Amino acid sequence: MTRNALGREIPDRIGSRKAIPFGGAFAKTAAGTKAPRPQKAAVQHEDKVLPTIEAAIEACGLASGMTISFHHSFREGDRVINLVLDACARMGLKDLRICPTALFGVHEPIVGHIESSVVSRIEGSLNGPVGAFISKGGKLREPAVLRSHGGRWRAIEAGTVEIDVAFIAAPQADPYGNATGIRGKTPCGPITFQAVDAQYARKTVVVTNDLAPYPVFPMEIQQGWTDYVVVVDEIGDPASITSGTLQLTNSPTNLLIARLTVEAVKASGYFKDGFSFQGGAGGLSLAATKFLGDEMEKAKIVGSFGMGGGTKMLVDMLRRGQIRAILDGQAFDLDAIASLREDPAHVMMDPGMYANYDSRGCSTYKLDAAFLGATEVDLDFNVNVNTHSDGQLLHGIGGHQDVAAGAAMTMITLPALRGRIPPIVEHVTTVTTPGEVIDVIVTERGIAVNPLREDLRERFRAAGLPVRELGDIKREADRYIQPVRRPVFGDEVIAAIEWRDGTVIDVVRKVEGWQ
Amino acid sequence: MEARVGAEAKGDCLVVARQAERASVAVATKNRNLLEAGIRAVADAALETFGRPGVAIEVQDQGALDYVLAARIETAVRMVLPDAKLTRAERVERAASDPDRPRRSRLYAPGNNPRLLVGIDIHGADCVLLDLEDSVPPGDKAAARVLVRRLLAAVPFPDEVWVRINPLDAGGREDLAEVLEGRPHGVCLPKAESGEGVRELSKELGKLERRLGFDVGSTHIMPILETARGVLRCEDVAEADERVAVVAFGAEDYTRDVGARRTHEALLFARSRVVAAAKAAGVQASDTVYADLANDAGLAEECARARDLGFDGKGAINPRQIPILHRAFSPSEDELAKARTIVEAAREAESRGLGAVAVDGRMVDQPVLERARRLIKYAERLAQGGAA
Repeated sequence: MTRNALGREIPDRIGSRKAIPFGGAFAKTAAGTKAPRPQKAAVQHEDKVLPTIEAAIEACGLASGMTISFHHSFREGDRVINLVLDACARMGLKDLRICPTALFGVHEPIVGHIESSVVSRIEGSLNGPVGAFISKGGKLREPAVLRSHGGRWRAIEAGTVEIDVAFIAAPQADPYGNATGIRGKTPCGPITFQAVDAQYARKTVVVTNDLAPYPVFPMEIQQGWTDYVVVVDEIGDPASITSGTLQLTNSPTNLLIARLTVEAVKASGYFKDGFSFQGGAGGLSLAATKFLGDEMEKAKIVGSFGMGGGTKMLVDMLRRGQIRAILDGQAFDLDAIASLREDPAHVMMDPGMYANYDSRGCSTYKLDAAFLGATEVDLDFNVNVNTHSDGQLLHGIGGHQDVAAGAAMTMITLPALRGRIPPIVEHVTTVTTPGEVIDVIVTERGIAVNPLREDLRERFRAAGLPVRELGDIKREADRYIQPVRRPVFGDEVIAAIEWRDGTVIDVVRKVEGWQ
Repeated sequence: MEARVGAEAKGDCLVVARQAERASVAVATKNRNLLEAGIRAVADAALETFGRPGVAIEVQDQGALDYVLAARIETAVRMVLPDAKLTRAERVERAASDPDRPRRSRLYAPGNNPRLLVGIDIHGADCVLLDLEDSVPPGDKAAARVLVRRLLAAVPFPDEVWVRINPLDAGGREDLAEVLEGRPHGVCLPKAESGEGVRELSKELGKLERRLGFDVGSTHIMPILETARGVLRCEDVAEADERVAVVAFGAEDYTRDVGARRTHEALLFARSRVVAAAKAAGVQASDTVYADLANDAGLAEECARARDLGFDGKGAINPRQIPILHRAFSPSEDELAKARTIVEAAREAESRGLGAVAVDGRMVDQPVLERARRLIKYAERLAQGGAA
């Protein structure tokens, strides 16, 4: 057991790997080489199309104990993860390790597969029901490992996670294995998240419901990486890619936070021609993005780029000429997907390009401002998006770490008072993102600025913004609620939270009682 | 008998109370481990104020803050045991406000809706108006009174907080008896139609202020003129009592009462009359609310016209309207600069012993000078902010 740079107790090993304690957001230096990729070759006229998932499982030689991977671009509408795991279960496979880019409520059947030992390890992300199951004592053979989008890409490139078979849901594919997510019967947005899986996995299987003649493009997944193509009736419901988070908020509190956020951006010194920002989904972020667009229009500012998940809001800004480009790794609505097809200034990215710590450039490093949410923040500006205040593991990291580390000004938008559970706490239940990369916390009761950013504090003050100490905001909000009880954690580690560089920033332990 | 108070709605709670041998509390919440103990503590404290009478309480929590929980429980207990004696909480310390302070916005908040009441103090409204009248259905009046009283005690408003009561003979007296101890800066009297009505309210306020140990006369009155009769008698209303600090116009009821459509022209007479009556009595005039939330341009235009007529502020039905109101009813930079030039020119003329002075080729007489001075003073007050 060691304490990492944030004082969190980190065990020496996570599962079968040695754990490297987090030492600082940019403390790790890259060295050595990336892992080698498997050698593959095709012969002329080879037919890659297989009739069923089972046939692909067999052809790939997938066996018990191996690792399979998936992407999450269909979000709540995904069918492929359940389809593949059900097939594995029918074929008697056990002890599989799954490596999804994210999981959602729709993936609740995984709980059954864990109970019947079909799935025994999870690397990548944990959301909703599976997280709840594990938090409540459901056993995995090793602790789950959570990584950011960039962190997952890096871990596969580094060879930390070796994937045996990548199953890639593809809204359109050709028989030779080129595949895209932005065309076809049910487009879900870019499927670039699994481009690294496709290259590093021993076998790569494209699963499509729309087999189209060669060549299918754009080629997010390339023929040279793909071993097999399987055609199924249904891969996902594109209506669900919005996840219900694309309504502009109408809560007066959230609108006030969105307005304060944009006022802070205006006062920050970054708000000038060439300005770049990350929008994201969620009612509050969308409102902030909209107000930001209004202010850019008023000030006649042309931004360099907006970063997605792409939304109609960003697309409208691009069309009006308010930003020169959108850089997108995901699409959060169908407008963004249409724009990706039609507008060359709407540029598709993969996490290796926008978020990979072990690379010579991340698009997130070019961001001036980013608006991110949080489940909890603490007085050291650390952010938790993984666990609830009761210690339950309920959410993945997403791009939170990558964007926060990259943006010149990372702003957390957060109501200081959210029902009876305080979002501003003494110490976050779990650290997802360290305070050193969080610059500003905007609440309805004032704006708190990280002491590391005295420059921003001065600018906000000069603009007449309500700058306050985070502790004062917390005290004001806490007056309205009795203190909540805090979970008491045991020794058993149920999940590790990796920082984007592969070090362990925190672990999630099993709740054993209550203070 | 069983009482059910509150609702299973976000930010609220449902409290069910029944007579029982002994006091007891049962709590249902989605986050039992985190929250049950805190909710129980609030419930116990609320029961304690009655001396723990024989009532069984069930709380179904939906994220209600402490004062909401306490209000719901108190209401339920009082419904089950009408004779239960309540030990009143400690006295609310809130300084009386200056009757002439700026009131560019008066933000309405429905008195029985916790979701909309929570955080009502943070939007920068010059004057928050907790409503017990039109936004509260008859069956919820008792619950709303207790909730508003508890809210007043719990929330230190940075600016003014008022309560709109029901007409005195239709629940208004009960409203006052309940909420005045929460020390609102003022009381808003709906459907005011006579000076007599205002004086009656003033008398009632005086009695309560004396009983509660507040300075007599420190609670302001805002009559709302929103009927044909009220508009025609607005001089009486505005001049009726020293407590009247501002007179408001209510277009929704007025148009219904006279059968008018809501156009600027149709309301021009009433608005002009209300402004004249207010100014003759030396008090402020506040315009009606603007109901089309999505139309910011329409709101800004109506504000500009109201200000042209002489109104000092306007009602808001949603916090998002406040910035627009404040922009409209604050002096612009141009106006301020002009006022400063006028005052400066007059000072110079006086020092040189000149009687009259011209600015930009226009004569500055006494009323013009007075208006310029008032504008500067008003702007200074706005810059300082704060209720007192």
